[in-house]
Amino acid sequence: MARLALLIWSIGPMLWQLYTSLRPTDALTGGASGERAWTLEHYLQLLQGDPPFLIYLLNSAVVGASSTVLTLLLAVPCAYALSRIGRTASLTLSLLVAGAAAFPAVLLFLALLEVARDWHLANNLLALSLPYAGLSLPLAILLLQASFRDIPLELEEAAVMEGMDLWQRLRWVLLPLMTPAMASASLLIFIFCWNEYPIALTWLSRSDLLTLAPAIARIGGSSVYTIPYGAFAAATVIGSAPLILLMLLFQRQIVSGLTQGAIKG
Amino acid sequence: MRWKLWLLMAPALIWLLAVFAAPMLHYAWLSTQAQTVLTGLQPRPVGAQQWLRLWNDARFWQDTWQTLRFSSASLGLEMMLGLAIALLLNQPLRGRGTLRTISLLPWALPTTVMALGWRWIFNDPYGPINQLLRQLGLESAGFLSDPAITWLTAVWADTWKTTPFVALLLLAGLQNIPADLYEAAALEGAAAWQSLRRITLPLLAPYLLIALLFRLAQALGVFDLIQVLTGGGPAGSTESLALYAYLNAMRFLDFGYSATVMLGSFAVLLAVVGLAALFFQWSRTASEELR
Amino acid sequence: MRIGRYLALALLLLLGFSLCLWVRAQTFVQPVSVLMPAPFADATAELVGAFNRSHPRIRLSVTRGPLETEAVSDLAVSSLLLGDSPYDLLLMDVTWTPKYAAAGWLEPLEGWLGAEALADLATGAELGNAFDDHLWRFPLVADMGLLYWRSDLMDAPPRTPEQLEQISRRLQAEGEVNWGYVWQGRQYEGLSCVVVEMLRGFGGHWLENGQPSLDSTAAVKAVTWLRHLVEAGITPPTVANMTEPEALQVFQAGDAAFMRNWPYAWAELNKPESLLRGKVGITTMVSEAGEPHAATQGSWGLALLAGSRHKAAAVEALRYLTSVEAQKQLNLNWGYTPTRLSLFDDPELLAINPVLSELKQALSDAVLRPLTPVYAQLSDLLYRDVNNVITGGILPEPAMAELQSNSERLLVTAGGLT
Repeated sequence: MARLALLIWSIGPMLWQLYTSLRPTDALTGGASGERAWTLEHYLQLLQGDPPFLIYLLNSAVVGASSTVLTLLLAVPCAYALSRIGRTASLTLSLLVAGAAAFPAVLLFLALLEVARDWHLANNLLALSLPYAGLSLPLAILLLQASFRDIPLELEEAAVMEGMDLWQRLRWVLLPLMTPAMASASLLIFIFCWNEYPIALTWLSRSDLLTLAPAIARIGGSSVYTIPYGAFAAATVIGSAPLILLMLLFQRQIVSGLTQGAIKG
Repeated sequence: MRWKLWLLMAPALIWLLAVFAAPMLHYAWLSTQAQTVLTGLQPRPVGAQQWLRLWNDARFWQDTWQTLRFSSASLGLEMMLGLAIALLLNQPLRGRGTLRTISLLPWALPTTVMALGWRWIFNDPYGPINQLLRQLGLESAGFLSDPAITWLTAVWADTWKTTPFVALLLLAGLQNIPADLYEAAALEGAAAWQSLRRITLPLLAPYLLIALLFRLAQALGVFDLIQVLTGGGPAGSTESLALYAYLNAMRFLDFGYSATVMLGSFAVLLAVVGLAALFFQWSRTASEELR
Repeated sequence: MRIGRYLALALLLLLGFSLCLWVRAQTFVQPVSVLMPAPFADATAELVGAFNRSHPRIRLSVTRGPLETEAVSDLAVSSLLLGDSPYDLLLMDVTWTPKYAAAGWLEPLEGWLGAEALADLATGAELGNAFDDHLWRFPLVADMGLLYWRSDLMDAPPRTPEQLEQISRRLQAEGEVNWGYVWQGRQYEGLSCVVVEMLRGFGGHWLENGQPSLDSTAAVKAVTWLRHLVEAGITPPTVANMTEPEALQVFQAGDAAFMRNWPYAWAELNKPESLLRGKVGITTMVSEAGEPHAATQGSWGLALLAGSRHKAAAVEALRYLTSVEAQKQLNLNWGYTPTRLSLFDDPELLAINPVLSELKQALSDAVLRPLTPVYAQLSDLLYRDVNNVITGGILPEPAMAELQSNSERLLVTAGGLT
């Protein structure tokens, strides 16, 4: 019973979107078309649109990937140092980082808009990963720091005995052990960037460069006077398919990553 | 050795300062300026005018109240539902892995995507919920047109999306509770709800606290959901602080005031988090004294 | 060997020459980009193609903006705030003009089009394009609020609020329709358009001599009537969340006797598969005896951005898209109302669009929303408050008193300046 309720609660609304996306527009309002009519017109409309809808998926993927790489580049050394620097400094800094993690990103959009204007970063997908990296850094640092702590100090001391310097230890001893934690952190960062809205809304104004979230909010029907519910629903389905796939493939990593880091950090 | 560690941390810390602290400082300056269409979008110093305006702005206070109302309702629901789901998922069931994945899905979808979906699901009169209500012989309800109800619709949509995150955190907490504690309690003849109250909840407290903190800040900054679902209506009853700040900047081109509203919202956030922290401190010492 | 060398040299020369030609051609073709709401982008696609064929040195391209007016504005504003806007021309709603002009984003058009540019426009269409002694915008299509009525259910449309109520009640009692009258009551710009029409219909004004007069008896009466429609069951309570599409959805399904909407709904309602094909009439909004049947003017026009790098080419495109021939095509193929006077008497158009004369009439009754750079704030105050009245959250009188004082304060302290 409880399981069924959970299932309905979780995927019911999504299934309804799937259903809506496959129905002709006027059937939705009890209109003339046959009760049993099904259609792919909404998908065709999206895929043949100008620009085609798939380009938004590509844009989101590009932004997500570049932001994830940048975030990891910044977060891994920082998390390592935090886990080794000693109690007081680590505690203070971790608190600050946690504070930043709990900061509502939407409050930053106006200032970031000015940054984009002054430094000509607008309408540039790669540049968008600069603020995204900033926004996802706190969570990444907290997650990774917890995993670094789990690595026994003796291991590193042994490496020091063998004459490895800091860089070599990081590269050859620690990072291999960190792979699972980094994988789950990347997934979380990627999902965050894929879904981010307010900053994408203000940094991107060219329609062929939009990422998924603002693009969906901007779908236009063929006239102002009919709400393209079917197209919206189809966009929902296409837009969430990659994420659902990602979740199905990596649910173990996501769960373990969140559970480890968020708590111990 | 230590300086090397600081060197490793430097880029990330500088980055964080640039992205989080610099904007706040910039707003502090901007909130002393008038920068609007009437000044040709050039900043002009006006002293504390904007702050006075904020203090006298009934809409700011109304939005503060509405944001707090939204946050506390959706946080309360998320904690309860999240706990229930976590308890369910912690039981040894068949197909638990699949169920976990599925229950996590809502959290992975973009907010704007499902906000549009909800707009259609709650459509009056053609949306499925209202059609269902009518078939049951009930009046269709103004889920998006009645100020007394619409904010609850927004809470519902937010709860649907973020409960999985809470459930996941709590699930991690549950898995860290040693099973022999429950066995011992069972030997003493404790009922299921007693062991829930005496073992599960106390041991889960830190996890609940973390979930609460993370979600609190996000709920207080709610923006995407409201903008797409209701646009702040009806009668301004769902407008959040973040949306008000956005409107001031992008619709009204009143940047000085927008910055002031953002700093005001930030102050509200700090106050709420501060109060919550004080409360937890107090309840902790109180319970220790009891012991 | 030698021949080979000469050949190579000749090839190289040829290559260099064609490269030069190519570079020259590149510099000669001037890209012009227009941002339009999605429906207009579809409607003008053919015209844009024709323009590009007849103007080889200009490459006109249209960016499909979002569907909702306010979302288009957000997009335009963010691209302008970011500097180097990717657009040269902007298709603007009438209410944006003063704000964009004051922000310094627009290029005055009188120097390009001449002082007499507006002479050929139909009465009502010339309004709202000039501000502060400059011409900022040239209207592409006219838009005005209309009352749609079911010609199969009544002989003549109502002319006063009382008549509208009577007919609605009768049809609802007879079970012909569920609801009497649907309009736009959501908290957004569309509600301001509705209120402007009712204000005039009851003898009131939004601004009088630059000062708000929203607590006048007429204004209170107008808003009271809107709330009364909901209380009396003539308008569904869900009107508080209705925009144009939702209202049309209800009307098109045959669930309402009247609808307030823009001209384009005419084409939607008369599509071959429409339930209401041939059963709909249009007229101007109801009003009390002696007051004008007002129609909110909501035209869309093209404006030239100050940051454009190809102004001459952009003006060329603007001229073409707003020309008599282009407007004729837009009306023939897409049902958009022209702004050029001569087209309203064009026999070819009249044959296909018999309602053109009603539209001309409505256009001449057009009422403008206040022309001020802070219009967005003014309207935001209005639609928030009136939406509150419609949902029954506050009584009309205190609501309008509050709105009046808030509007007065806004005009004094706009932007934090005193």
